Amino acid sequence: MSSPTDTAHGGTPRAPAPYMNPYLAGIGLGLVLLASYLAMGRGLGASGAFSSACAVVVGAVAPAHAAGNSFWQDYLQAGVGHPLKEWLVFEVLGVLAGGFLSGVIARRVRSVVEKGPRISTGGRFALALVGGALMGIGAKLARGCTSGQALSGGAVLSAGSWAFMLMVFAGAYGAAWFLRRQWR
Amino acid sequence: MNLPLFKFGAFGDEASLLVAFLIGIGFGFFLEQAGFGSARKLTGQFYFQDMAVFRVMFTAIVTALLGLFYLGWAGVVDLSMVYVSNTYLVPQIVGGLLLGVGFTIGGYCPGTSVVALATGKLDALVFVAGIFLGILAIGMAWPGLEGFASSTDLGRLTLPEVLHLPFGAVVFLVVLMALGGFWGAGALERRFADRDPADRGEEPS
Amino acid sequence: MSRPGDWLARRNGNQRLALVALLLGAGALAIGDVDSGGRVTLDTRELAAIVEGELDHVTPEELADWIVAGRADYRLIDLRAADEFDRYRIPGAERVAIPDLLDAGLSRDERIVLYSEEGIHAAQAWMLLKAHRFPAVYILLGGLAGWQEHVLYPVEPVADAPIAERAAFARAAEIARHFGGGPRAATTAGAALAPALPTPEPPRIAAPVAPPAGARPAAKRKREGC
Repeated sequence: MSSPTDTAHGGTPRAPAPYMNPYLAGIGLGLVLLASYLAMGRGLGASGAFSSACAVVVGAVAPAHAAGNSFWQDYLQAGVGHPLKEWLVFEVLGVLAGGFLSGVIARRVRSVVEKGPRISTGGRFALALVGGALMGIGAKLARGCTSGQALSGGAVLSAGSWAFMLMVFAGAYGAAWFLRRQWR
Repeated sequence: MNLPLFKFGAFGDEASLLVAFLIGIGFGFFLEQAGFGSARKLTGQFYFQDMAVFRVMFTAIVTALLGLFYLGWAGVVDLSMVYVSNTYLVPQIVGGLLLGVGFTIGGYCPGTSVVALATGKLDALVFVAGIFLGILAIGMAWPGLEGFASSTDLGRLTLPEVLHLPFGAVVFLVVLMALGGFWGAGALERRFADRDPADRGEEPS
Repeated sequence: MSRPGDWLARRNGNQRLALVALLLGAGALAIGDVDSGGRVTLDTRELAAIVEGELDHVTPEELADWIVAGRADYRLIDLRAADEFDRYRIPGAERVAIPDLLDAGLSRDERIVLYSEEGIHAAQAWMLLKAHRFPAVYILLGGLAGWQEHVLYPVEPVADAPIAERAAFARAAEIARHFGGGPRAATTAGAALAPALPTPEPPRIAAPVAPPAGARPAAKRKREGC
């Protein structure tokens, strides 16, 4: 994690540190996943926390709709006394903290819209919104996202997770051709 | 030793939330270190520019898989108590395709969008809003979708069962696949590197 | 000097990691299968001590008190056949056949009370769960027969019994009526045969009481996926 610019002293802001060797980052991630399995008997996740938060909002805004809907009830009845006192919610709060910590150490925390040179900020936001919505729909149909299914399910050799993982890559590569100008 | 700890009652529900937070910190830290707080870095995978997604993900899978295999073999962890999500084949295939398309369009997946948000990416904030909209849509349409989402329920199905191979043989195959993939990823990157010199400038390494 | 050493020295970090992964993968191939769940180990001395100390029993009267008090910190498992279960079950019981016991979603952090007709199946299931390291497994003493004998149809003490015994009986009779049974009179030849079990739906508890402070709330859904 040392770069030539690390040694620069004085007032000039230092450049972000280079990313970690992907294999070392992968081993680190794999050990965190293993720790989760050894401590809890379950893997990592992300989309479930979004669902819990969404269910709580729906439950507050439209209690009658939420009461008669098994999707929302599934999340509203989970948790240690409260639907937000749920394992994945706390795990995702940890992800927020861990990501920030790493970003600070590597000097990568910066308020920015990441986009290609040929796309407007509004265009990038529109794509992000559509992509996020598709992600939410896909993750709920598949009962998990890249964290819960592909990574965690992949490591315990779940057949459905491996089918899911192949399809994620297939879908992503299939869409890439149409979006090849987004980042150029 | 009795592992998984939680399933043997080593700590309770409240304490498990603290464990969740600590594990999340590790998860977020390594995602960010890998560069997964950047949509450009992530989507580089799908243009053969930067195969980091594949490298990190498969290294993590192989690491955790080898760990679980050997600890299970040593009798340290009771693998029957490790959660394996049920297979719903068709919904998972359809969901995977949608998620993959969303990945390329939006630039993140749910976990990485949280890390991107933590490091100040405003597009990740919009992406997270999109996830909420997607979940809201699914939740409201659930009465009509539930039949499909629960179809082709194959239960707790693992690759050794599907392939009729011993657990260890599948572990070996996954390792071979990953190593072959890593070698192929390097070859693809070299082949596609000249296609788009503009992208290379963003690589900090 | 050694050529493998030279070869290894020329590998970079990533290639060495790949080599380690390959070796571990080959080791896994050689090991083949890992037993998960099927084969178990028993600490026979620990089990013997539990049996000897009768620490593994719940008496029918204790269980009746738990149900009347509305306690939710245990799971009551009926091991009998489905038709018997449909005919009568102790309130709150869920039916699990012994072969399905390990897939029934029982958790090691909850108290599990087992019962069968008389107790043989419960004892076998107890051994099975103990072998799988479930820490808190109990057998209903006397099984359903004991429940019938002591809770549903308690025997009235003889007329010259001490006051304390008569007072205890008054409470037992009350509880028996809660569960749809009732006291029966003592005869010179010991207790009369217990009448048939109440039919067909188990009677509801007349006065469900709020769970005592400190009891866990009724089992909620435990999510493990996304």
